[in-house]
Amino acid sequence: MSTPLIWILFPLVCSGAGIFLTRFPRVLKWSGAGFGILMVLSGIFLPIGRPFRLLFWEIQIADQLLVYGRRFVLSPSDQPIVALLFSVFLFWTLILNPKIIPGYFVPLSLSGISLIITAYAVDPIFYGALFFAFLALIHVVMLTPPGSAPTPGVLRLLIYQILGMLFILFAAWLASWVGFNSGDVFMLSRALAILALGFSFLLAIFPFISWIPMVAEANHPFISGYLFNVYFLGVFLFGSRFLTEGGWFAQGIDLQTPLQIAGVMMLAFGGLLAVFSRNLGRMSAALIIAEIGRSLLAISLFRLGFPIYFAMFLVQLLALGGWSISLAKLQTILPDFSLRSAAGAARQWPLLSAALMVSYFSLAGLPLLAGYPLYLALGNGLRSYPIWINSALVLGSLGLIVGGLRAFSFLTEDSGEEVVLELGDRFDKGVLIALSLLLFSLGLFPRLIYQLGLAITNIMMGS
Amino acid sequence: MPQLLETMIAISLFLCSTALILIPDKRWVIGLLALQYVGVFLLVSFSWPLEIAVVKLVAGWMAATVLFLAQNDHPSSAGVESFTASVPGTFFMGFAALLIGLSMYSLMPAALGWFLGASPQQVLGGVWLLGLGLLQLGFSNQEIRVIIGLLTVVSGFEILYATLEASVLMTGLLALLNISLAFLGTYLQMAPRMEESQ
Repeated sequence: MSTPLIWILFPLVCSGAGIFLTRFPRVLKWSGAGFGILMVLSGIFLPIGRPFRLLFWEIQIADQLLVYGRRFVLSPSDQPIVALLFSVFLFWTLILNPKIIPGYFVPLSLSGISLIITAYAVDPIFYGALFFAFLALIHVVMLTPPGSAPTPGVLRLLIYQILGMLFILFAAWLASWVGFNSGDVFMLSRALAILALGFSFLLAIFPFISWIPMVAEANHPFISGYLFNVYFLGVFLFGSRFLTEGGWFAQGIDLQTPLQIAGVMMLAFGGLLAVFSRNLGRMSAALIIAEIGRSLLAISLFRLGFPIYFAMFLVQLLALGGWSISLAKLQTILPDFSLRSAAGAARQWPLLSAALMVSYFSLAGLPLLAGYPLYLALGNGLRSYPIWINSALVLGSLGLIVGGLRAFSFLTEDSGEEVVLELGDRFDKGVLIALSLLLFSLGLFPRLIYQLGLAITNIMMGS
Repeated sequence: MPQLLETMIAISLFLCSTALILIPDKRWVIGLLALQYVGVFLLVSFSWPLEIAVVKLVAGWMAATVLFLAQNDHPSSAGVESFTASVPGTFFMGFAALLIGLSMYSLMPAALGWFLGASPQQVLGGVWLLGLGLLQLGFSNQEIRVIIGLLTVVSGFEILYATLEASVLMTGLLALLNISLAFLGTYLQMAPRMEESQ
């Protein structure tokens, strides 16, 4: 028995079995949630490399699995990441409403999580890029439900992920061939440029940004929300491990400046997109683009920034959850996601609209909501760097807030007609109120979430 | 003599992938894709032992078979189904393919500096497939064309990567990726006609 068997192969087999149950979405939801709890608990408490007694048997779990000469390693220092990834799966499974979310969501999302863990576990780490290509295939299937044609955004997502994989594989080979200690700065800088191109494809960094608004506008909001949340977490985790294990951090190569430039560009694009968007789907794209920018800025601070990154991710998880549920529900009511179609929605569906706005403004960085203290901490961490970085952080958030205020004015518009107040079904009401309250309380007590981010970082980095 | 053979394989790969872009008949396109994998296998076999190189051929043919069966299963394929094509459009694409071929050929000396273990023909075959695959991806929004473009790009990469690394796991994963892409192409073609889950 080994950890890759428990956290990779076992979930993959279970998700394969789940595909045959897509006609029973309730069964899938609750069995998926049960499985998620089991995996999260195993991620936290499973003793690795130490013998322990389970009923009548004495078991020792190894931390690696050998496949065709390559190792898949999940050691105790990776347990917070495993627990985090399965917690994310558990969260999305718990909040989904089986009446409006396709049945295949649970098994496919579970296999996606397993693939992210595989990419994180494989040694040498650059093989992980291949698993992201497989992950892209799964996401394309998720975004193209039976009965509908693939949207252009989905095809573009597929193309970019495959190209990203190829560039990363080639860059990693080039770096290992040149050798970090050879002193061949010219070839190393070439390898770094190719690597940057590969990660730009994977992280949708400018100019490979276009699929995010396309997918957000035309695909199912719950599934696209899940994809944005989980996929980018996976890429950031893989990227961090790639840079640390591949020796890129240790060589004195300046990674900070490119990360910060990319972060600033993404924040600027996110802010501008929010200001000019007239569609709720595209506004979620603006949020995601800005979040990628902030994450890049946080990671550019290395050890100091990782707790902020994880805390920001947890806020993003809650906010995107609320936003996606509200938008998925609105999709069943409104003809489309244009602001004009949503005019006056808050008067008829106040709870949905309120949850939509609380989630949006939390990620936009409105004071007193969950995102604001973390963005403040990020800005504080960046104060010793050039002023344009912090200016972009502020302006990006301002752009998002301006876009959000305009959407808010549309949602609350008085059409002059009498409307019947609708609060939605009990499940959605409960989830939306709980998530909104959490986003409010985390804005008031930000240390809670920061401490959690710090704990994950400390275990991950081994201190 | 082997160099002449390699040159002929590289040129036939260029012709094959150009024809993939120009020919409108979907069945011919899939046939050409299968033929392209023969060229990929032959170029890879100059770097790898035959028993490992043959994985590329088997995986490629499996991918082509999956796509072909999906075409046969398509209700509109009772006759011959075609991609929409116009004469000026075909000329334009042919000219673009020629330009890609020439520019890749001119880049070959530089590329040889990157792939030290590769012969010029292998590099040429690889970069031609990469370039023409990207051309196909850039000019088409039909799902089957996108999948064939991706398969072409991955094939080009496989030729080049085979000169750098011979890992069994990597070979297996790349083969699995080819087959998975073909299955995805099949799914994307069939999805609009499938029963809605909600």
